[in-house]
Amino acid sequence: MDLDTLTVLAQADVAETAGRAIGLGMGTGLAALGTGIGLGFIFGKTIEAVSRQPELRSEIQSIQWLGFALTEATVFYGFIAGLIAFFV
Amino acid sequence: MPIRALHLRAFAALLGVLLPLAAPQVAGAAEEFDPQDEFALPPWIEIDIFGIDLSINKGVAYLLIALILTCGVMIYTARRMQYRPTGKLQTVVESAYSFMRDNIAGGNMDARMAAKWFPFVATLFLFIWFSNIIGYVPLPFNTTHKVDVFGLELPSLAIYSATANLSVPLALAIVVWLSYHVEGIRAKGPIGYIRSWIPAGVPGAAVPLILGIEVLSHFVRLLSLSLRLFANILAGHLLILFMAGGLVVLMGLNLFGTLVLGVLTGVLGTVFFLFEIGLVVSLQAFIFATLAAIYLGGAVADEH
Repeated sequence: MDLDTLTVLAQADVAETAGRAIGLGMGTGLAALGTGIGLGFIFGKTIEAVSRQPELRSEIQSIQWLGFALTEATVFYGFIAGLIAFFV
Repeated sequence: MPIRALHLRAFAALLGVLLPLAAPQVAGAAEEFDPQDEFALPPWIEIDIFGIDLSINKGVAYLLIALILTCGVMIYTARRMQYRPTGKLQTVVESAYSFMRDNIAGGNMDARMAAKWFPFVATLFLFIWFSNIIGYVPLPFNTTHKVDVFGLELPSLAIYSATANLSVPLALAIVVWLSYHVEGIRAKGPIGYIRSWIPAGVPGAAVPLILGIEVLSHFVRLLSLSLRLFANILAGHLLILFMAGGLVVLMGLNLFGTLVLGVLTGVLGTVFFLFEIGLVVSLQAFIFATLAAIYLGGAVADEH
């Protein structure tokens, strides 16, 4: 990073835009972290449950998709919050 | 092989997205491209009633198409029902019908409520499903970017979904929200309904706190129900938009870099596209209808 870039970065409006971009990226990324852990739990527990009682497979799977959609939505809450931070 | 045929069809559909996206931006520079334009809603026919903007725009057109498809497919199938189905359509609609009746409505409400609210829940499912699926079919509705076809200015093919606009899921969620409150009040009376929010065995001092949390949770339901659908579809469209050309245009690399990045993001875009039409479209329609059924069933249930 040469001096010119530093000078540009020091300007207030650029810093604000950069902050917004970091907010969007970090917010979505951290939300994705939590969602990833949650989804791992859901699918792992489904595998566990199905291997214990294979005859309940279809019932467990329908609940699994419900849990998947509910958990997956949390990443989008972070994403929307990031978009609000970025554009508003 | 049916799976391969599906992939080919999806790829052809994606190409339909890629080409028009690339076409108007080849001539223009990177600064001309604004990703928000894909979601802009310029009014086609301006209607203004007492200061309320009711203009016909792209979103209204998508809603109308979804409405026509929902009613059209179901009425068409119902009119020519056969004892032994010859076509595929009746089989598909019948299995969708039994899925909606037994899993979505029947599985989450008691028999009386399920019979009463099955049409509503099923319509929600079908309407959201059709809205989502036409969102991934390239339609010539993008009037912000025009294509020149033999001197004729035509709107370019692009993907957009009515459900990628917060107003549509919010309107649906408000209808669901009002319905389950009305149904709960009708079943238990206004005082009894609010009393049923508090679980049995809560000591008297904790009642205001629990009541506050419950009131908050009902408003959060409104928010989460609408945001879930909206954000899923919006994020899917944004991902495809960026992967199918937006990122390459915004980066403004040289020819080699554009080629490498373009091939990479093109493959990723295809994967996301298949993920969206294969899973997200049906799953979001299913989850919206299921949650509507759970809320309706929960509002009249004896125990909270």
